[in-house]
Amino acid sequence: MKQHTNGKLRAQPLPIAKSSRPEPMHNPLPVREWMHRLTLCLCLLAPGLSIADDSAPALTLHYFGTAGLSYVTSGQADFVRNLSQPNGPKGGQWSGQLDSLVGAQANFQVNEQLEIVAQAVSQHRYDDTYIPELTWAFARYLPRPDIELRGGRLGMDFYMRADSRLVGYSYLTVRPSVDYYGGLPFQYLDGLDGAVTLVVGEGLLRAKVFGGYSPEKIPFAEAQWDLSDSPMLGGNLGYQLGSWQFRLSYAQIRYTHNLPLDYAALMTTLRGIPLPGTQLAADALTIQGTTSRHYSAGVIYDEGPLQVQLMVSGAKHESAFFQDGVAGYLLTGYRVGDITPYAGLSWSRNNPATVHSTGIPALDAAVTGAIDETHSDQHTYTLGLRWDLYSGMDVKVQWDAVRGSPGSKFLYRWEQPGWTGQTHVLSAVVDFAF
Amino acid sequence: MSKILFSLLFLLMIAWTGSAQADLVLIANPAIAENTISREEAINIYMGRLRRFPSGASAQPLDLPANGTEKALFYRLLVNKELSDIDAYWARLVFSGRASPPHTVGSLQEMLERVAGETNVIGYVDRAFVDKRVRVIMELPSTGAR
Repeated sequence: MKQHTNGKLRAQPLPIAKSSRPEPMHNPLPVREWMHRLTLCLCLLAPGLSIADDSAPALTLHYFGTAGLSYVTSGQADFVRNLSQPNGPKGGQWSGQLDSLVGAQANFQVNEQLEIVAQAVSQHRYDDTYIPELTWAFARYLPRPDIELRGGRLGMDFYMRADSRLVGYSYLTVRPSVDYYGGLPFQYLDGLDGAVTLVVGEGLLRAKVFGGYSPEKIPFAEAQWDLSDSPMLGGNLGYQLGSWQFRLSYAQIRYTHNLPLDYAALMTTLRGIPLPGTQLAADALTIQGTTSRHYSAGVIYDEGPLQVQLMVSGAKHESAFFQDGVAGYLLTGYRVGDITPYAGLSWSRNNPATVHSTGIPALDAAVTGAIDETHSDQHTYTLGLRWDLYSGMDVKVQWDAVRGSPGSKFLYRWEQPGWTGQTHVLSAVVDFAF
Repeated sequence: MSKILFSLLFLLMIAWTGSAQADLVLIANPAIAENTISREEAINIYMGRLRRFPSGASAQPLDLPANGTEKALFYRLLVNKELSDIDAYWARLVFSGRASPPHTVGSLQEMLERVAGETNVIGYVDRAFVDKRVRVIMELPSTGAR
């Protein structure tokens, strides 16, 4: 997920050797193929239908977007909104790329039970372009008011509020907490989900499960990491009582492909040296066929002008290449007329796994260097103002002070020597949603 | 404590604007099984969390246009939120494919006609406009603001 910018790994001469890691056990083509076809059908169907009156099927169009400008005061690393961005502004640079995006959505309400939704978004994406991506395309079926089934391309619901990360107008801050959501590059999956809502006590309990395959790519230095065909699975349990919302979530992804470039070069080197230590290290670093698990809990209190959010998460990775970690944020805002000042604190801390020594000091250093790329040890203070200008439009200004150790690299791109882990980000955005 | 404080603030606001706000009521078709619904049930229907009557029958909410005074008052009384909060709330739900906001009718007359003619919708009007064709299922008195 991270590039190796220090040149340590790239300099290795590469003995040619095939990985001995077996291919994934099964290849679930039919389901995947079916998903792709469904997605395609939905896209073709949605825009082709005309707007009708109230009781008959109805097509509605919606737009959202953000125009933003940010300035990063210092630090020799690219600041990114999340790891789906290949680069960003570093110390002393202005950028409109961090937060600017535009999305369009069509909702086709066939009847009270059935709705078809398609959404496309243009944003600074993995290949350094703004080519629009189909982020949603699904059919939503409610056999009863308390049961919801969806199939097609669905937004990633790993953490609470993760499926509305792109819609700036829907939240308080300029961007979702980078410490909390930044390490989560997954945005959507092709699959199914189902949710049931029960009245429990005075409140509502909502249980949801989802599963499918990732169709995405993640930037990795000059290349991309292919997540396609990686199965994802998860669920969450939410309880809403008056002004309180609670949610527990679990999600996992099993990677079908290894990383390219430096990672691949290191693995080839390790596999090519027939020592027990090098093979053990290669086994530990292997990504293909391993699973990452994400656990999270969130509480939101939203009453009148006051809102408070507290989220915590933990990630466990089978591959030692990705450091296990915890992250969280606390955010509060209080509306005064059209202005809502807010303040937040967020944190991200990853810890390296112990990998067996290869027996060759230079290789041990390369292995450590690779693992260090996913290290995180930082917290961020955030202060900002949201001004609700018109219905469907807001203006926000925000200051973030990132306080990290020099080894805190996971949430950045293109770290260079001299990176201290400390920077400030000043941002101003206009959000709209219609 | 905070509710009392908000109530006081709200009363002060009404006093300050100098206009006694009319009472709003939630209305449904007289053919539905319920005589009343609770505040929580009304919130669940209007906020898209669970759109059904206690009997289990589907309940689709209707909104008045935002240019009148009733809509803003309704959301203040029901969930203690301003219309821009409600807009942001719906942006989140619409763009994450969860639910759609209530359908907006053109006028108060249309609201009454829809509710009088359909058993699966609910609406809100100023109490003064209620007639025999609809049933009041919840009261939202301005003076009893939460």
